[in-house]
Amino acid sequence: MHEDKYVEIFNLVKAYPNPYGDDIKVVDGFELNIKKGEIIGLLGHSGCGKSTVLTMLAGLNEISDGGIIVDSREISGPGPDRSVVFQSPCLLPWLTAYGNVMLGVERVFKHATKAQRKVIVEYSLSVVGLADSMHKYSRELSGGMQQRVGIARAIALKPKVLLLDEPFGRLDSLTRMDLQDVILGILDREKITTMLVTHDVDESIYMCDRICMMTNGPHAKVGKLIDVDFQRPRVRSEMIEHPKYYDYREQILSFLDECELEKEKIAKQKAKVA
Amino acid sequence: MSIKYKILKAIDVAGLNFLRPVILLCYGEEPEEQIRKIGLFIAVPIMAFCLFLYLWGLFAPMHKTKSGEVPTPSVVWDSAKGVWAFHVREKNKANAYNLEGDSRDKLLEQAQTRLSELEPMVARVNEQLAEADGAMQSSLASKIEPIKAELDSSKNAMREAQKARQADLQARAKAIAADDTAAKEKLLEDYRAHLAQIETERESLRSYEEQIDEIHNADFPQRAEAIRAQSAIAEERQYLVKLIDTLENNRQQKLSDIETRLEGFESSYYEASGADLLKHAKSITRTESLMVNAADSEYAKPMTLPDQVLRSVACVFAGFLVASLIAIPVGIVCGLSPIMMSALTPFIALFKPVSPIVWLPIFFIIVGGFIPDPDKHWLIAGLAELPLIGWMKINPAFIASALTVAMCSLWPTLVNTALGVASIDKDHINVARVLRLGFWSRLIKIVIPSSLPLTFAGLRISLGVGWMVLIAAELLSSSEGLGKFVWDMFNNGSSQTFAQMFVVVFVVGIIGLLLDRIMIVFQRLVSFDESPTSI
Repeated sequence: MHEDKYVEIFNLVKAYPNPYGDDIKVVDGFELNIKKGEIIGLLGHSGCGKSTVLTMLAGLNEISDGGIIVDSREISGPGPDRSVVFQSPCLLPWLTAYGNVMLGVERVFKHATKAQRKVIVEYSLSVVGLADSMHKYSRELSGGMQQRVGIARAIALKPKVLLLDEPFGRLDSLTRMDLQDVILGILDREKITTMLVTHDVDESIYMCDRICMMTNGPHAKVGKLIDVDFQRPRVRSEMIEHPKYYDYREQILSFLDECELEKEKIAKQKAKVA
Repeated sequence: MSIKYKILKAIDVAGLNFLRPVILLCYGEEPEEQIRKIGLFIAVPIMAFCLFLYLWGLFAPMHKTKSGEVPTPSVVWDSAKGVWAFHVREKNKANAYNLEGDSRDKLLEQAQTRLSELEPMVARVNEQLAEADGAMQSSLASKIEPIKAELDSSKNAMREAQKARQADLQARAKAIAADDTAAKEKLLEDYRAHLAQIETERESLRSYEEQIDEIHNADFPQRAEAIRAQSAIAEERQYLVKLIDTLENNRQQKLSDIETRLEGFESSYYEASGADLLKHAKSITRTESLMVNAADSEYAKPMTLPDQVLRSVACVFAGFLVASLIAIPVGIVCGLSPIMMSALTPFIALFKPVSPIVWLPIFFIIVGGFIPDPDKHWLIAGLAELPLIGWMKINPAFIASALTVAMCSLWPTLVNTALGVASIDKDHINVARVLRLGFWSRLIKIVIPSSLPLTFAGLRISLGVGWMVLIAAELLSSSEGLGKFVWDMFNNGSSQTFAQMFVVVFVVGIIGLLLDRIMIVFQRLVSFDESPTSI
């Protein structure tokens, strides 16, 4: 049972105080179980509360109601067992790529020897393809390379859950495809439970085992879950030619369209009432 | 990386970017563009400075003061050279006091040769001066004589005219009848006219006198030159006499004199017997203590300007160090804790605008309370023993000046550090939260590095403020340094010391510039975003 409910999110609520009335519940009654080693995508229109769910899981955002259990333990606050790759790389500019990764490694592997830590850092940087640029400062790295450092920093901690908050949002499409493959390569090897927040339909199909589509906010919750039934490791060119790919795509887009229509209907009703 | 880029990088880090086009021109890159830039960044400032010197030289002599004319650039330059020569000579004398054996004999011989060379020159410049004096007298006489003659003749003429008018008036007065009102009125009017006439005549005589005064006061370049030559030689001669005197009576000489005397006393002690023994013993012990004193003695060298500059720089750094040790930790605490920030804001607002002139007397008294007797205090004695700063004779005035500098210069660093700490990138805080860094590692690994650029910007301002404050503090506290130098020169009040005050202006400016440059380099080294620092 534990394997199926490695991460358990129940009745999750995020409410912001509203000075002119009741609290505004951005996320309301979000429920989701994540299997161990699964890659789950969180998809929805921008502003629907995807990132809010992710930051609550990361512990960076306070939970208003409900709860999150990771590996049989309820979370309270942030921790290195749930490492995050942010949309911007968030590197410390006064440290090299190596130093940025080492900062977390020192903290998590307290009892390891210096040599062991060095191996961990160098390994994770080489996995993301930065073996030659380890000792460069972030200003000397391109945007894509900076994001690679961010990924290396997250996986070096050997987290229980890897949280990706639109990690490719600021990259050009070629770099984005490169990085998608880099992350998939790592995840195929390490089998880390992962949550990917995105608004890119193709990206979610290519990368995820399951896609969780959220309804539009406020009161956003899980709208529809789709299992993406492709074998791993995946090959982009083969997937794109597969008929199932377009089936998934169609399902997702029609759901998103429905959400949009719903939203417009509500807006019209509101306008009438007013 | 080629040498070219290394040079360019070094120039950039040192904040000497105006040299960049020169280097690029050497490598033949876009020569026209580089020449335009050299014109703009090097030639224009130099020309502006030359224009400034020209205008200074033009206008300065127009204003006469108690200390003579306002010095021109060339006078100031000469006086700077004089200050340096004085420093070198004093150093030589101090050195001479410590010399022993051959090197002493050699220097003595050199000094005597030079002195004998000088003697005929002294006679010659004296002669020249006398000649110039004579020439001046005769030239004055030739200019003044005609004016004087004119003056005398017009004086006589006026006296005659006055007498005539007076006599005329008297004659008319006698002739006027008692009831002739019209005639009386006329007489009164004429008498007034007569008095006014006398006044105008006096006025015209005075203008002659003024002309004569002007001729007396006019510069006589030949004589001024002679005086300068004479005083230069007299100064060198006096220096050589002093040097020879020091060499002849230096420590080694004193010691050997005392030693021979001691030997004499000792031999007479062992020869003597009875009541004389104690008398001789007294002589021996007294001579022994004299010997100890002589061995410890030093040449009493006065502080020269370069020494005072070093002492001022040491003082500003002492104050700056104290300021940094207080301001950086307090700034970090303020940036971290809104409560501390709120608690300290009134102090910052209240004490920041207080002038150094107010702080100094307060610190002077407080320091005096800790060190009532400087000569016997362990701190002063300990500092005097230190190798590099011992010669500076650090005293309570120095400490009070340094503390004043600290008090006035800690605010920019404090405020900037607090700002730097408080405005850390939120992303960096999130990184620290995800990693669950403890307080200290968060402080050392995230907070301090990210606030360093702003802290250093604050330190740079602090050092600039400290340098300005120091000069005023030294002037007021009579702590040996540039400020005291200016004060001494002011009190001296001669035209020579007036020029030396202008020398200090440039010394202070150049040192302030260098201090700022040093801080720019540090600032560049700690700033991770590579944004160029303003100049």
